[in-house]
Amino acid sequence: MTKSSCRKERLVTSLIWLCVLLISAVFFWIFGEILWNGGSKLTFDFLTLAPKQAGRGGGIGPILISTLWIVGVAMAVSIPLGVGAAILLSEFKSSENIFILLIRRSLDVLAGVPSIVFGLFGNAFFCKTLGLGFSILSGGLTLACMVLPILIRSTEEGFRSVPEDYHLSAAALGLSRISTLWNLLLPAAVPGLIVGIVLGVGRAMAETAALIFTSGYVDRMPTSFLDSGRSLSIHIFDLSMNVSGGDPNAYRSAFVLMLILVLINALASFTANYFFKRRIITV
Amino acid sequence: MFRLFSILVVAIFSNPLSWTITKAYAAKNKIILTGSSTVAPLVSEIAKRFEIQHPGIRVDVQSGGSSRGIADAKQGLSDIGMISRELKNEEKELFAFTIAKDGICIIVHKNNPVSTLTDPQIIDIYTGKISNWKQVGGKDAPITVVSKAEGRSTLELFLNHFKLKTTEIKSQVIIGDNPQGIKTVAGNPNSIGYVSIGSAEYDFENGVPIKLLPVSGIIANRKNVKNGSFPLSRPLNLVTKIKPTGLIKEFINFSSSKDVNDIIKEQYFVPVAE
Repeated sequence: MTKSSCRKERLVTSLIWLCVLLISAVFFWIFGEILWNGGSKLTFDFLTLAPKQAGRGGGIGPILISTLWIVGVAMAVSIPLGVGAAILLSEFKSSENIFILLIRRSLDVLAGVPSIVFGLFGNAFFCKTLGLGFSILSGGLTLACMVLPILIRSTEEGFRSVPEDYHLSAAALGLSRISTLWNLLLPAAVPGLIVGIVLGVGRAMAETAALIFTSGYVDRMPTSFLDSGRSLSIHIFDLSMNVSGGDPNAYRSAFVLMLILVLINALASFTANYFFKRRIITV
Repeated sequence: MFRLFSILVVAIFSNPLSWTITKAYAAKNKIILTGSSTVAPLVSEIAKRFEIQHPGIRVDVQSGGSSRGIADAKQGLSDIGMISRELKNEEKELFAFTIAKDGICIIVHKNNPVSTLTDPQIIDIYTGKISNWKQVGGKDAPITVVSKAEGRSTLELFLNHFKLKTTEIKSQVIIGDNPQGIKTVAGNPNSIGYVSIGSAEYDFENGVPIKLLPVSGIIANRKNVKNGSFPLSRPLNLVTKIKPTGLIKEFINFSSSKDVNDIIKEQYFVPVAE
């Protein structure tokens, strides 16, 4: 190796390291600021009490419950639908079938639609047309529409990672299609599905624009899926934007939101491990 | 996975049941309010006290802006709309009830030597005719004009008072809500903005580096808003489509009574009930 190419190599290496450092610096800056402003003052009461003085006092108990319900509804609806759609899509190539091509394109477009558009759609369709009103159900269903494209595309990638040979071998061994799907394809697709779920839950948790028009603003403890419930991100938005002196609790709520996201990530990788062990083959 | 499916099936079948129950319940014992994001936190708190005094009654408050408050009340999507301005002429068929007042004030950074601006100067700054602080007696620095996003009632009130049109405003920064405006001005020593007096006074008292400028020579504080002398003030109104009766009337009366003055003060607005 000549001297100049060696130097070039070193330059490129250090540039790549710089990129990585910059990106993690941004993450640690955000995390550090939230931890500094919110984490130190976090108490157990904050997690259980109802908000007082428009959120400046009290805690986020009902808001936490509403958020989990909304995201729960969104995931309960979108995971079965998403996996079903991904199975169908993975069986076809876009070039072979105009219908499949159309579905893929529309999913790509949907994935890029701003969340406020989903919010207005959810408000018009779930709240008004279906008469669900401002409710956790409306909010959850709207979020389900929003995360479906992400979920389907990443699960589909998982299904596609199974080589064609395995399909043929399974057929040659006389395995039924259902058992091929259950024992071979699904375990292989789980990592993709988990990625989709983590991205989907992340997007759902962070959502404000789509929820302000669907699940609403009420900060009371929800008693049914048809109650209006304020999500954590709307609470943070409201505290930092509409309530004077709401900043300390906005930071605290943001810290809780981040904790939940980390927890969900951990849970997701735990589930992924479980499925990895269950599968027959390694892909 | 199968367990998940069965949970979903149960969820789907049990929901219509609870839905019909809620619908029947909703008819008599629930009040829905929608509208201004400025009024929503205040009315939420009033609603909580009202619920304590009237067990079994539920008051749901939804945010979204004054325009939505008007539209929802007109269409019957809400029982009461919330607006942070007067009714416009074309909205006069609605009934409005003032529950509190809010003033808008002009704010600059604390270190800005300029302590007063005349109305024409403010107009010139906001239309871009004056673009440097030294033109109004300050230091030699470009003015960063902070204005509100379209649809905000603060913007409408500002435009009305200074007889300006949205298209004439030449601003460098567009903000959404009051605390955002205060943060922008506090973080930029050469900026000028207009925000809700309640928010500005509170943040000023708590050491945020901003300064409240007088408007037309009248000092910007809550007292002058309450006695009506401060020109840039606005009422916070509840609006209904029909003359309120029953529970809705009771809620409106409660909201405009002095029983909630402490809540109004807590939100940095100015109570009107004596």
